[in-house]
Amino acid sequence: MAKPKHPNGAKKWPFFSVLLIYLAVVVFPFFWVLITSFKSNGEIFGDNAFGLIPQNPTLEHYVTVITEKGMLHAILNSLIVSTITTVYIILVATLSAYAISRFEFRGKNLLLGLILAVSMFPQMIVVGPIYDLFLSLGWTNSYWVVLPYSSITLPMAVWILVTHFNQIPLALEESAKIDGATPFQTLFKIVFPLAAPGVFTTAIIVFIIAWNEFLLTITLNANSNFHTVPVAISFLRTQFEILWGQVAAATIIVTIPTLIIVLLFQRQIVSGLTSGGVKE
Amino acid sequence: MKKMGFKEFLYILPVLLLIGVFSLWPVIQSFTYSFFDYRLNDQTKSELLLSEKFNVELFNERSFYVERFLNQSKENITSEEDQNRVETVIEDLNQLDQQFEGQEGIIKISGDTTEQVLAVYESASQLVRDLSEKYELVQEENLPLLIDDIKNSLVQSNFIGFDGYIKALTDDRLQYSLGVTLAFTIISVFLELVFGLGMAMIMNKAMQGQGFIRVTSLIPWAIPTAVAALMWSYLYDGHYGVVASIFESLGLISNSTDLLQTSIGGISAVILADVWKTTPYMAILLLAGLQNIPNSLYEAASIDGASKVQQFFKVTLPLLKPSILVALLFRTLDAFRVFDLIYVLTGGGPGGATETMSVYAYKVMFGQMNFGYGSVIVMIMFICVAIIATIYVKVLGTNLMEKN
Repeated sequence: MAKPKHPNGAKKWPFFSVLLIYLAVVVFPFFWVLITSFKSNGEIFGDNAFGLIPQNPTLEHYVTVITEKGMLHAILNSLIVSTITTVYIILVATLSAYAISRFEFRGKNLLLGLILAVSMFPQMIVVGPIYDLFLSLGWTNSYWVVLPYSSITLPMAVWILVTHFNQIPLALEESAKIDGATPFQTLFKIVFPLAAPGVFTTAIIVFIIAWNEFLLTITLNANSNFHTVPVAISFLRTQFEILWGQVAAATIIVTIPTLIIVLLFQRQIVSGLTSGGVKE
Repeated sequence: MKKMGFKEFLYILPVLLLIGVFSLWPVIQSFTYSFFDYRLNDQTKSELLLSEKFNVELFNERSFYVERFLNQSKENITSEEDQNRVETVIEDLNQLDQQFEGQEGIIKISGDTTEQVLAVYESASQLVRDLSEKYELVQEENLPLLIDDIKNSLVQSNFIGFDGYIKALTDDRLQYSLGVTLAFTIISVFLELVFGLGMAMIMNKAMQGQGFIRVTSLIPWAIPTAVAALMWSYLYDGHYGVVASIFESLGLISNSTDLLQTSIGGISAVILADVWKTTPYMAILLLAGLQNIPNSLYEAASIDGASKVQQFFKVTLPLLKPSILVALLFRTLDAFRVFDLIYVLTGGGPGGATETMSVYAYKVMFGQMNFGYGSVIVMIMFICVAIIATIYVKVLGTNLMEKN
C-alpha cells in the first residue's frame, strides 16, 4: 500500500472531514441498532425511541432471540452449510482452475466464457427447476442445499484461482515432473502450497457468499430447522408485529461472525475481490 | 502447456458436472417451463404434458361408483327401454375398466381411447339426465358429479407455446416491475460509482488508518443482505425509525411515515439502503485500480502544467477505465437481479411500488405456485441480462478474456 505523501497539510482537512462523514454514515446503522438492542420494549416503542442512551439497559432481547427464536441454531446451520460449501467448492475449483491454467485443450475459452456467463445469471432462473428436482429427490429441508450453492460460488472461485495459478511460475512444476511426480502430486505438493494464499483468499470469499445466501435456502428449506442466518432473521419481520428490540439483538449477534472474519482476513478479502476481475 | 488427455479431463469433470446440473440444466428447464401452463398447486397442471394423458386412478374409482349406483337404481326403473340403456352404459364402462386394468397413475392414451371415454361420458350424462326426470335414482345428486369426473380423468395438455410471453406483453404489473428494476439499477449503480470513485480517491490520499477504513468499508459488503435490509427497515420505520425521523426534520420528507408508505419514498429507501451497502465495496475495488496507477504519471502531468481536474480526466479516468467497467458490469447485473434487499425491506410494497422483476417472479412461482408464468418472467430477465452483458462486453472489448 503505497501512500503518496501530500506536500501541503492544509489541503488535508477537507479530505479528512469527508472521510469522517463517510465512516460515520457507514457505521451509524450498526451503532444505532446496537443501542436499540439494549433498550426495553417500552423505550423502543415509547419516549426514548430516539434516545442515545438506554435508560434501563437490558439483555432481554438477546435472551429471547437466542432461546426462543433459535438464532444460535441458525448460526450453526449457516456454519455447517457455508463450511461444506467452501470445502467442496475449493476442491472442485482448484482442480479446474489448475487445468485451465496449465493444460491446453479445445473449448477452454468456451469453458471460461461459460463460467463467466453463469456468474451473470439472475439466480431466480435456476431456483424453479432446482426446487422441482429437490422435491422429486426428497432433498428439500436438508443440507443438500449446498449443491445448488455451486451456481453462485463456483464461477467466482474458479475465476480467482485461475488468476492466482497464472502467477505461479511453470519452472517448479517442470522440475517436479522431471523428478517423476504425477500431475496430481505436482498439484497438491508443489502448486497447492505455493497457491495457498490465493486458495485461502478464495475460500474466505466463497464462505462469505455462502453465508449470505438467501433465495435458495428460503425456497428449498422451508422448515425452520434448516434456516440459515439470513432466512431466520428475515422471519423476524414477517410476524404480525415487529419487535425491533429482537431484530436489533439478532442483527448484532449475526454481525459478530462477519465482523470477526473481516477483522482477521481483510487483506485476503480485498485481494480476492480485486483479483476476480479488476486487477490488471 | 500440456495437451488435454483423459486424465487431464478428470480435472474439469467435477466443475462441468456441477455447472451442468445446477446452472445450465435449470436454465434450459426454466426455458421449457415457460411454454407450459405449469402450476404445482393444480393437479391437472402439475406436470409438463405435451399431449393429452389419462388419470387411470380417478377413472377407475369413479366408474366403479357410477356402475354401482346405476345398478342399484335399476330396481326403480320400470321401462325396459331405459333398463337397456343403463345396461349399455354399464357395459361400456366395464369395457374401459378392463382396458385400463393393471395400469396406475397418469398414462398416455391413444386418440381412439380418448374418443371412447368421451362417448361414454356423453351417453352416461345424457342417461342420468333423462332418468332423473322419470325415476328416483340412488345417489341422484352425486351421480352427475361422478360422471363429470370421468371426463376430468382426461388430462389436457398444458402446452401453451408462446401464450405466456403474449400474456407478458400486456401484463402491466410486469412492465411496472421492469421499470422499477431499471430505475433501481441505473440510479443505484450510478450513485455507487460516483460516491465509490470519490471515496476511493480520498482513501488513496489517506495516510493513516488504512486498515481501519478498509475494515469499516468491508462490513456492509460482508453482512448478509437480508440482515442489512432488516436493519434498514427498522431505521426507516415511520414511528420508531431514527433515519425516517431525521429525514423528516431535515425536510426531505413531509412525514416520517412517507418513507415506506409512498411509492417515491419506498424506491428511494431501497436505493439508499443499496447505496449504503455497496458503495464501500465499489470504493475498495476502485481503490485497488487507483493504486496501480504509477505516481510518476501524475508528477509528469503536473510538470506539464496540468491542473488537478485535468489530471483526473486525462490520467486517472482513462487508466481506471478497465477497473470501472468491470466493477460496473458486475454491479449492474447484481442490481438488476436484486431480490433479498427488497423482499426483506419492503416485500415489494407499498402496494407493489418497489416490486422488481425478481420479487415478482418469486411471488408468482412460490406464492401462486405458477411455475409456468414465473418462468416467463425469469426468461425475460435472462434476455435483459444478456443484453446488458453484451453491451458491457462490447465496450470492454476483449480485455476480460485476454487476462487468462
